[in-house]
Amino acid sequence: MSAAIVTGAAGGLGGRIGERLAAAGHQLVLVDLDPKVEEVAAAQGARGVVADLTRPEGVEAVVEAAGAEVGVLVNNAGITRDARATKMTEEDFAAVIAINLTAAIRLTLALEQRFVEGGSVVNMSSRASLGNFGQANYSASKAGLVGFGRALAQRWAPRVRVNAVAPSLVDTPMTQAMPPAVLRKLVAKIPAGRIGTPDDVAGVVAFLASPDAAYITGQVIYACGGRTVAP
Amino acid sequence: MSDLLVLRQEPLGDGPGSVTLALTGAFARARDALEARRPVVVVVAAGDLLGQGDPLDAAVATGLLGMVRTLAIEGAKPGWRINVVAAPGVAEAGGREGLGVASVDEAADEEDPVALTIAMLAESELTGQLLQVGGANLGKLPA
Repeated sequence: MSAAIVTGAAGGLGGRIGERLAAAGHQLVLVDLDPKVEEVAAAQGARGVVADLTRPEGVEAVVEAAGAEVGVLVNNAGITRDARATKMTEEDFAAVIAINLTAAIRLTLALEQRFVEGGSVVNMSSRASLGNFGQANYSASKAGLVGFGRALAQRWAPRVRVNAVAPSLVDTPMTQAMPPAVLRKLVAKIPAGRIGTPDDVAGVVAFLASPDAAYITGQVIYACGGRTVAP
Repeated sequence: MSDLLVLRQEPLGDGPGSVTLALTGAFARARDALEARRPVVVVVAAGDLLGQGDPLDAAVATGLLGMVRTLAIEGAKPGWRINVVAAPGVAEAGGREGLGVASVDEAADEEDPVALTIAMLAESELTGQLLQVGGANLGKLPA
């Protein structure tokens, strides 16, 4: 059985993606910098890997844990360092790019030979890739994942499919920490009328990883409740 | 017109770390110019927006577009002007130094469609836009 790797798996969204892939019969490898990933993995009967993907040894640890064959890779690990551009430090800009984009690129390229029987890469982008106040670094990182995925989809076709999911607001500890008034204002801009759930996003990831999406590659699915088309 | 900052995408060749350097360098230069009320034009390879070349170049091209859109949103009130020009063939023209910086006078001397588009943007109130020069990718995905 081939492995399904999910990065950023200690968080609510990554954990839920893992659950959906496990339900589809994948042998999971859950990865995170947070040691909590080992508990999450144990609860799912999966293998947990604590790794810093910005470092070569972190990438090597994941490649080793993946075993001989990988079928699915979900690049979900990410951070935010929000600030208006005028207040954003170059260090914070670079840190977000390094983790959200460059680390994903490194891991994906390192796994190329492990997609023995083909497979599916799903990059976690964001609606913010289209531009979002206070997120010049995050927007660049998530838009960069789209371009990387489009190129890889063409380079690795037809063996491996590469797609992206672009959520908007998702109910995670990060959004739960937002001031309620701010959150209400943001939710009001979503045609679906509610914040997204981890399951809303995990379901799309599971779809893209499945044979049902066999003819989809190089694409972005905006799982954002219609936010991209609202005023 | 001479105060326009033109950031040109150049091919990368030194591994994924060069993506971080290129995007961070572009952010710093664009932000500094915008704060000084200088308009900015970022020139990327049209094919890279669609991932038709190297994956790292594509990551930089689309990353720049995402960054530009956010800077345009943040700068709408103070009147920042920053846009992207998608040019044919840029990726094949450069070296391996990351984003180069050219003055608009240098660009305008070339008298090609890209230079003319850049010159137009120097005088325009447009911001946050992607202008694609040439018709090579018409009918493809919006970037």
